[in-house]
Amino acid sequence: MTNPDNNSSNGKPVFPQEKIKIACKRVNVYYGDKHAIRDVNLEIGKNEVTAFIGPSGCGKSTFLRCINRMNDTIDICRVEGEIEIDNENIYDKSLDVVLLRARVGMVFQKPNPFPKSIYDNVAYGPKIHGIASTKGELEGIVETSLKKAGLWEEVNDRLDQPGTGLSGGQQQRLCIARAIAVQPEIILMDEPCSALDPIATAKIEELIEELKENYTIVIVTHSMQQAARVSQKTAFFHLGDLVEYGETEDIFTNPVNKLTQDYITGRYG
Amino acid sequence: MSDEHTVKSFDGEINRLNDVIIEMASLTKEQVRDAVTVVVKRDSELAGEIIEKDPAINNLELESHELTMRLLALRQPVAIDLRNIVVSIKISSDLERIGDYAANVAKRALVLNQLPPVKQARTIKNMGRVTYDLLKDVIDAYEHQDVKKALDVWHRDEEVDDMYTSIFRELLTYMMEDTHNITACTHLLFIARNLERIGDHATNIAEDIHFMIKGKPPTGRRPMGDVDGEFDIFDH
Ligand SMILES: Nc1ncnc2c1ncn2[C@@H]1O[C@H](COP(=O)(O)OP(=O)(O)O)[C@@H](O)[C@H]1O
Ligand SMILES: [Mg+2]
Repeated sequence: MTNPDNNSSNGKPVFPQEKIKIACKRVNVYYGDKHAIRDVNLEIGKNEVTAFIGPSGCGKSTFLRCINRMNDTIDICRVEGEIEIDNENIYDKSLDVVLLRARVGMVFQKPNPFPKSIYDNVAYGPKIHGIASTKGELEGIVETSLKKAGLWEEVNDRLDQPGTGLSGGQQQRLCIARAIAVQPEIILMDEPCSALDPIATAKIEELIEELKENYTIVIVTHSMQQAARVSQKTAFFHLGDLVEYGETEDIFTNPVNKLTQDYITGRYG
Repeated sequence: MSDEHTVKSFDGEINRLNDVIIEMASLTKEQVRDAVTVVVKRDSELAGEIIEKDPAINNLELESHELTMRLLALRQPVAIDLRNIVVSIKISSDLERIGDYAANVAKRALVLNQLPPVKQARTIKNMGRVTYDLLKDVIDAYEHQDVKKALDVWHRDEEVDDMYTSIFRELLTYMMEDTHNITACTHLLFIARNLERIGDHATNIAEDIHFMIKGKPPTGRRPMGDVDGEFDIFDH
């Protein structure tokens, strides 16, 4: 059950230095007086899928949003501690948040394509970040991104149609293509399948499996089965605490903590 | 499994599975006890009863498998629930094998009862008692989720193996002394071998209980699953 390459110690994965993509150190998050994340220390592996699970309101989304500083946009929200991506603290004052968000893409629960054409949805990011210098280059990026998102076959004959006209599952893959188009290193997904049917969900999960070759993925999900299917590491949060973090296989066969066990086996209040 | 699931019917199904295993276990335990009695007391009637009861154990195994399939398909169990269910599959198949060995002892005893008594039948009595105690304790350990007791059984299996080895030697000498004893002693040898196998399956169950509760197999020196190669003439 224990993989010698991932020498977990005491349930917590231990990564060799070069495998760490994101290192979170003593992270605390407050909304006004409310202490939403409590002293979380967590390392996330490169080219892996890490799942955040836990009951509603335990802070999964809050913690996920720390990784691309999305919480900065919420007035009453205060983040303390350090989050390093490739050993660089993203809360450092000299850091360019716009560049950070290009490196760390995000996909949300409800597919949210812009009210524009399929093409423009994907081309928007590369355009504003100046990633493409010619029209041909931009077209190339749109095509590759749609292909990587597994959507190209379904939409290549109607790129000028509105993105909002696609099915829910297609819209979510469009949002993934949009995230990929700016060549991020990390993709954050907040319950990306909760509005999708089982087939569309399976397609996204298949896509996640492929994407992890090139990206580091962090996914919040309230489907335990989904966490078990797609992730290599799982972190269980409860009331703002990181209760348990480990190999997904260990979490779902033999969790160390009773709270984790109660939650994943459906014994939670 | 102390706490209840939010979905109560899940508890109902898991409890039902555990009840079937326990029912199977107590039936198997009786079969082993009676099989030893048959040999010691030369009770052919009881032997017939054992052989008749064996299919009931097989049916319970099938029932446990149906419950298991249902739980896996409908509940997608994880962690302790998953281990409990997977271990049920293994334990039910160990119990089913133990039942077969008990029936086999009864069948050989029927043949023995047609032959003049040999005094070595008494040595089977001891080995039978030790094997029965092992089985009884491991079943207790399962019912009460008692890791300590399971580990104790796990360590005690060697005792049965040692007894088997010494009975083997004793019977061999006896057969060499007087060739008239060969038929009876051969049957006794097979009976001793069956008891030794029952001990092995009880040990498997002990390991499974440990895995179910602790999430890992017992550590330390693994008792020999089998007796020495030189005595392995009955396998295959
Ligand atoms: N914008 C916000 N303002 C105030 N409180 C918030 C805000 N967002 C989340 N919270 C609170 O922070 C806690 C964690 O929420 P969230 O991260 O959304 O949990 P999860 O994603 O695990 O369901 C909850 O108690 C929630 O009410
Ligand atoms: Mg959330």
